[in-house]
Amino acid sequence: MTNIATWARLKSPWVLHFNSGACNGCDIEIVALLTPKYDVERFGIKLEPSPRHADVLLTTGCVTEQCAERLKRIYEQMPQPKFVVAIGACACSGGVFAGNYNVVGGVDKVIPVNAYIPGCPPRPEAIIDGVVKLLNSLKPPKPIKKEAKIDAE
Amino acid sequence: MPSKEIDMIKVLETKLKGKPVQIQLGHLGTAAVQASAGAYKDVLKAMLEADEKTAVTAITGIDLGANIGVYYHIRTSNAFITIQAEVPKENPKIATVTDLMSGAAFHELEVADLLGVVFEGHPSPGRLVLPENWPEGIYPLRKDVKASEVKLNPPSTVDEKLSDEGKLVKIVIGPQHPALLEPEKFAVTVDGETVKNVEPRIGYVHRGIEKASESRTYLQDVYLVERICGICNSCHATAFVETVEKILKTDVPHRAKYLRTIILELNRLHSHLLTLGHAGLEIGYETLFQYFWRDREPIMDLIEIVTGNRVISSSMTVGGVRRDIKDTDIPKIKTVLTDLRKKLPFYKEIYENEPSLKMRMQKVGTLSKEDALKLCVVGPVARGSGVDIDVRKDEPYEAYGEIPFKVITYTAGDTWSRMNVRMDEVEESINIIEYALDNMPAGAYRVKVPRVVPAGEAVNRVEAPRGELFYYVKSNGTAYPERVKVRTPTFANIPSFLKTAIGESIADIPPNFVSLDPCFSCTDR
Repeated sequence: MTNIATWARLKSPWVLHFNSGACNGCDIEIVALLTPKYDVERFGIKLEPSPRHADVLLTTGCVTEQCAERLKRIYEQMPQPKFVVAIGACACSGGVFAGNYNVVGGVDKVIPVNAYIPGCPPRPEAIIDGVVKLLNSLKPPKPIKKEAKIDAE
Repeated sequence: MPSKEIDMIKVLETKLKGKPVQIQLGHLGTAAVQASAGAYKDVLKAMLEADEKTAVTAITGIDLGANIGVYYHIRTSNAFITIQAEVPKENPKIATVTDLMSGAAFHELEVADLLGVVFEGHPSPGRLVLPENWPEGIYPLRKDVKASEVKLNPPSTVDEKLSDEGKLVKIVIGPQHPALLEPEKFAVTVDGETVKNVEPRIGYVHRGIEKASESRTYLQDVYLVERICGICNSCHATAFVETVEKILKTDVPHRAKYLRTIILELNRLHSHLLTLGHAGLEIGYETLFQYFWRDREPIMDLIEIVTGNRVISSSMTVGGVRRDIKDTDIPKIKTVLTDLRKKLPFYKEIYENEPSLKMRMQKVGTLSKEDALKLCVVGPVARGSGVDIDVRKDEPYEAYGEIPFKVITYTAGDTWSRMNVRMDEVEESINIIEYALDNMPAGAYRVKVPRVVPAGEAVNRVEAPRGELFYYVKSNGTAYPERVKVRTPTFANIPSFLKTAIGESIADIPPNFVSLDPCFSCTDR
């Protein structure tokens, strides 16, 4: 049963995007992912407006004081198992805004982060790569023989 | 200096005879009027009487030691004038100007929030950008406040209830909401379907950039101000470096001016295509969104060819641009632009004649010309209401003075007009880039400038995709600026949304709102 759930999750991860204080640079690259040139929907990745339906939280931007509580609450609303991807230098560490008043820092100061995608902003290819790496890490470990067979195919 | 500016100064000189007012020409790069705290309103009144297009561009608050300076940056038809007043730090009180110009309300709140100036008679005092649990009596832009030492009060745990007072229902949109790409909150009070009131709560993206810029060198600040907004980043960088160049009195090479113009117009192209598509998404026309974003990608590739990066281009620097354009790239750029030009009639046809789009956009969010002037709106919002302001024409910077282009205006003032202004500006931008590529002068693309900037101050304006972007920089003779003030276009345009949304259906909020092309990372800084 768990295997089926993991399989389904890997084939169609629903993502939620939350901007906790970004400059829009990373955000427009995330939107660009959904449009014809990059079109991540072909991998089953769907942008989901409600945290209650999402598997993966894509966060952009450093965390401002006002957004910290909100970010925590959105994370808590997501069903288990949940994964957080920090997109961009600001989400990873605070970026150029680290140390400013009203800025808490990177996303990992507030919620646990599973994958970091650095860049200012990261290219859409880099974001796809990061999300795919995260998904691959969720795959249940398989016997080596079987994997070799898949590779041969 | 434009002759109109001198005309305005003459008018002021006659009207303000005997008042405690000093007029300086050429200070701050434009004209400046020094007025005592009592007389600045007389100056503003005199300007309003002389020119109907008089509007507040920005209000800068600045810590001057014993006093706090409150600078009113006023634009008129062709002149740009700064009124400088000062209030003592112990008792920083000054009368509001919102009775003369309702568009000044937001500007005053910001100065009150960040510097603690009390604007007496302000219609709705309160927090604007700082969080609710910000400690009382600490004003971040005062020099004695250290950014790292501010400790916030514990956040309030009380949730805002969706109130239901009789017939009126309060709906809170945001901070996280499917229709908002950025975290902001709007509390909409509705009676059935009709919107009765909109209360904005901005500041969710406030990152203290103005304060941070004071602890970085001028060169580092270029990269910092670029990150105010990821969409119009080149405009921010240009506005900042131009201001610093004004203080340095540096002449930028002719070729650099053309290169900057090309980068700025590419920026405008991608921003307008983004918004035109986004508007489609908001009215439930997703096909249009996908089409526009498909055609935006080649422009992103062009930005990468010219500057080296897709989004944050970091191509501007004090004294020029950081890299030259390759001759071999010019044909590539022209091919992409020609392709885009061929597609424009199709989009134009959709925006002008598609019935479902017209139903959602026409007569929605109508802003009359009078209101547009009173609320001091800028950019496509003003031009959609028939106010023909465009900094590229009014106060040409870079190569805009040498390149022929039209200022697009529509008169209906509704959402449809605002979007069509952008639609037509896409074509103008293509023309500008093609002209600049064909007439590019040879020569250097940057000059060396000293790292230490002599003491001085300057104001500067740039026409960003969303409208007039304003910068004020004060130097104290070191490598670090004393004060950097940014007024972004969305900040000036939000009051128009608050006005036009009232009385309309709640379903009209998304198209009306997106027609401002709102950018909150700009607004909050």
